[in-house]
Amino acid sequence: MSSVFTVDPHSGVPIYLQLIEQIKRSVALGVLAPGEQLPTVKQLATDLTLNPNTVARVYRELERDGIIETSPGRGSFIRSNGGVGNATRAAADVAAAAIDAAVREAKSIGIASTQAHDLFRRAIARWYPDHHETEDRSL
Amino acid sequence: MSDPTTTISINALTKRYGQTPAVENLSIAIPKGSIFGLLGTNGAGKTTTFKCMLGLARPTSGSVEFNGQPLSPEMFEHMSYVPERCALYEWMSGAEHLEMQRRSFKQYDAKRAAQLMDMFALDRKKKIGKYSKGQQTAMALVLAFSTHPDILILDEPASGLDPVHQRHVLDLVIGEAASGATVLFSSHQIGQVERAADRVAILHQGTLRLAGEVEQLKADVKVVEATFDSDAPSVNGLQSDPAIGYVQRTGKLLRVYVRGKGEEIEKAIAAKSPRSLRVLDQNLEDIFLSTVGASPSNESEG
Repeated sequence: MSSVFTVDPHSGVPIYLQLIEQIKRSVALGVLAPGEQLPTVKQLATDLTLNPNTVARVYRELERDGIIETSPGRGSFIRSNGGVGNATRAAADVAAAAIDAAVREAKSIGIASTQAHDLFRRAIARWYPDHHETEDRSL
Repeated sequence: MSDPTTTISINALTKRYGQTPAVENLSIAIPKGSIFGLLGTNGAGKTTTFKCMLGLARPTSGSVEFNGQPLSPEMFEHMSYVPERCALYEWMSGAEHLEMQRRSFKQYDAKRAAQLMDMFALDRKKKIGKYSKGQQTAMALVLAFSTHPDILILDEPASGLDPVHQRHVLDLVIGEAASGATVLFSSHQIGQVERAADRVAILHQGTLRLAGEVEQLKADVKVVEATFDSDAPSVNGLQSDPAIGYVQRTGKLLRVYVRGKGEEIEKAIAAKSPRSLRVLDQNLEDIFLSTVGASPSNESEG
């Protein structure tokens, strides 16, 4: 498990958010399967060299978001019922935030909106090779 | 003062050496199970604070309580302290120190001690005087962790250790805290504090400058950075706004360090039509440097 997640404590992004996003992404991608058991707070805290309270907070928030379920004495598991759907929606939110940040950055360095459109079209052509320009008229 | 969730409480602690203040009116509450990082430049008062806590120096005024009680000799049964400067006997071997620990502490765990000796690759037959500085630090840590203490006080626990052993120390601290121990440690390695600590206090010139949960402190500060086509203009109201940490102006660049989300300040700066404008997060090192005033030249507004 130790190799699955990494965090960058020097980033301004709070560590617990980094970890929450990674776990949601892993669930959305099927790296963590429904019903799979997560390490204990103590285990994950030592594996990642993170404060145990930080890890406990991550588990609490994932439980609240319907990604994992915790049963006392047994441990924490990826929710079989709706866990993947919830994680996929959450991962989409992360992607939306990343796109928002990219556009904001483009604007902040003075790139005109037409030029930003152009950059987007190029990025989409690169990462969605089957995509055809006409399709996004409906967007 | 007797909050049951508070394990260590430092109440208005002041220590002066003659007329020279080392620590002034310091109050800190450390909750049970917390890993609390004490940050400060050399001479900030960290070691003096530890000494006052442990009865090695007499406070000029103020008090320290553990679980609501003043320090008593029995408490040392459940407490481990690793001072910044190694306090081992140079003429004794590692094994002899372990034996002394076994005789002194009921909860001494020989198996645990053996694991720790292996972890730090320490030769138990060697005299402490023949250990390197890093090995002496490691030996002190082995002794500290061999008794499963409820309270751990570590003054620069990673000094002199290589990066692998430094990581071991953090993992030991984290493991103990996850098992319910309360840890107070000082370190110059802010990256380590950022990983391991859930709370920090920043001391500077003997006084407390900032304290709180690490994530909260990070969430509370932002940098609004703007560039302009010509010299950065003066923005009205910046100097009187209590949310402003400080303002840095270097030619076309304007940087404002803000407590809170910085939205108001962002709007005020946007009204000056900057060429670029963004809001940056800060890590603990940035927060530390700006708190002790070591950040890029402070320039006051107007």
